[in-house]
Amino acid sequence: MATESEAEWEIKIPEKKLKDKLFFENLRAAVIDTKMCSRCLTCVSICPSKLLVNEEDAVDFPDYEEKCLDCGACVRVCPRYGYKPKSGLGDYIEFTAGQSKRFKGQDGAMATEFIFSAIDMGLIDRGIFVDRDEQWRTHVFHVRRKEQLEKLPLGGTKYVFADVIPELKKAVMLTKVGVGVVGTPCMVSGIRKLQDEFPVFKEKVKLVVGLFCTENFHYNEVSKYLEEKGVDFSKLVKTDIMKGKFVATMTDDEVKFKVSQLSGILPTGCNVCTDFTAVESDVSVGSVGSAPGFSTTVVRTEVAKEVWDYIKKMGNAEVGEGKVEELDFLINHKKEREKNIPEQ
Amino acid sequence: MKKVETPDYTASDKLKTHVSALGTAAKEMLIPLNITTHYPRERKRQPACFRGYMLFDPERCISCFQCSFVCPANAIWMKEAPSGRYYPTVDYGKCIFCHFCVDSCPGSALRTTKIHDVAYKTMDEMFTSTEELVEPPKIVREDKVVVDYVIDQEDLTLKRTKEVDELIVEVEPTPGVPLVSQCVDRGSCIACKICERVCESGAVSAVVDEATMTVQMSIDQEKCTGCGLCVKECSMQILSLFRK
Repeated sequence: MATESEAEWEIKIPEKKLKDKLFFENLRAAVIDTKMCSRCLTCVSICPSKLLVNEEDAVDFPDYEEKCLDCGACVRVCPRYGYKPKSGLGDYIEFTAGQSKRFKGQDGAMATEFIFSAIDMGLIDRGIFVDRDEQWRTHVFHVRRKEQLEKLPLGGTKYVFADVIPELKKAVMLTKVGVGVVGTPCMVSGIRKLQDEFPVFKEKVKLVVGLFCTENFHYNEVSKYLEEKGVDFSKLVKTDIMKGKFVATMTDDEVKFKVSQLSGILPTGCNVCTDFTAVESDVSVGSVGSAPGFSTTVVRTEVAKEVWDYIKKMGNAEVGEGKVEELDFLINHKKEREKNIPEQ
Repeated sequence: MKKVETPDYTASDKLKTHVSALGTAAKEMLIPLNITTHYPRERKRQPACFRGYMLFDPERCISCFQCSFVCPANAIWMKEAPSGRYYPTVDYGKCIFCHFCVDSCPGSALRTTKIHDVAYKTMDEMFTSTEELVEPPKIVREDKVVVDYVIDQEDLTLKRTKEVDELIVEVEPTPGVPLVSQCVDRGSCIACKICERVCESGAVSAVVDEATMTVQMSIDQEKCTGCGLCVKECSMQILSLFRK
């Protein structure tokens, strides 16, 4: 039956720093123009109009004067609008390491293991996965069964941003149980902001797996750079960062160079990011701090602890040992970027 | 085993059956009796519930997509009209004439007719747009009379009546279920005001209070016609139709 209260409601919209301007112009002035945007795409996912990513891999809104509805959703969810940088290792319940027995691959295998164990537990009914095509462009998929993953054989670390959060919103709209998602620290922060602002995300996004991240690249820039370095994308097997060197393994060759050389194409958003371990996630996964083949696993919340206990109970993963002190270098390395954050 | 033997006819019996056969032949020559309908010059009278070509009334359609969801043959495709509303189109190349769509339409926007003889030259023509569904198709008919089957004691006979069958059945439309739009998750509203923009009856209002930076949203339950446009367009999918 219709009641009066369900037909009337009130929404609090944020204050505008620049009065008389649209919310998008506020976002642009505070985040995009100051080069703080990490391109996590939280704003793109929530925008009811046409906020998008342009060809230069930046967040943009063509003809915003006409089409912006001025709802303020973008500034409500942007993790860099009123940026409160997070750093360090954060709170955790268990610091350990694991090696998935079911999934092969780089550090993503342990993240995949978490999502699939959560699906097996009935905690979630779909996970958001990133795959790549022949040209190493990223594509985002909803995966509901393990067999589906076998059809996505091109796993491995991509070091390229993917449109995870826009797909997450679609998944939230579709799911009946819950969604699990894997993301970089900036994406995790975006998801947490979405959850703070909108209860539907709080209810439906049940497991957020964060990845250790020093930086991530934009496809157009990194592909151009790697081609100059002699990387043939059609032959590329995997990319990795080992001991300060970027290694691109091809079927017949290997291209190696120092990571510092990539600083020229380092996205400006990463320059102000101080979060290495995805402090806000339910569980963080990364290769640093554990033996080769293992992934360091930082279990932070009760939900993730349940999934981790389930993984151990079912014997889905080999349990190893994590070394907290090995993370210190990269945590401090990222903390130094605090000085790059412009005054607001 | 029993052996069937031919009856032993006498000469008078044989004569009697011959005369009877000649009599029947003479009767059929003068007043022929058959159960063949001379289609297309005449047509059989169809029952009022005959499931034939469908007609569509856009005034009654609430764009609920129920017809396209229920269609087991995937023959119905909802297409956007210039007004932003979605209306059904029927691919008669796929339609199996089950009329689940007619039965499930909450606003009686789809109704059935007795028309079953639309001819198409190509497969593409069988895709019938919304505009074509509004008016009955133009068919040149030769039929002059309607034919009825009559079961007359022992023979199944045909009775030729003088009237012409009305192919478009006038059915009293069902009043439909009165619906209203309501928000099911008010906390997740982003105040994009799209619902207010699309509402044709002016039931949705969004008032921005600049002083307190709040937006007052309300859906007038009296004005709301339950068309479901806002439910479809809501970017967070938090509006839903409820019974009034």
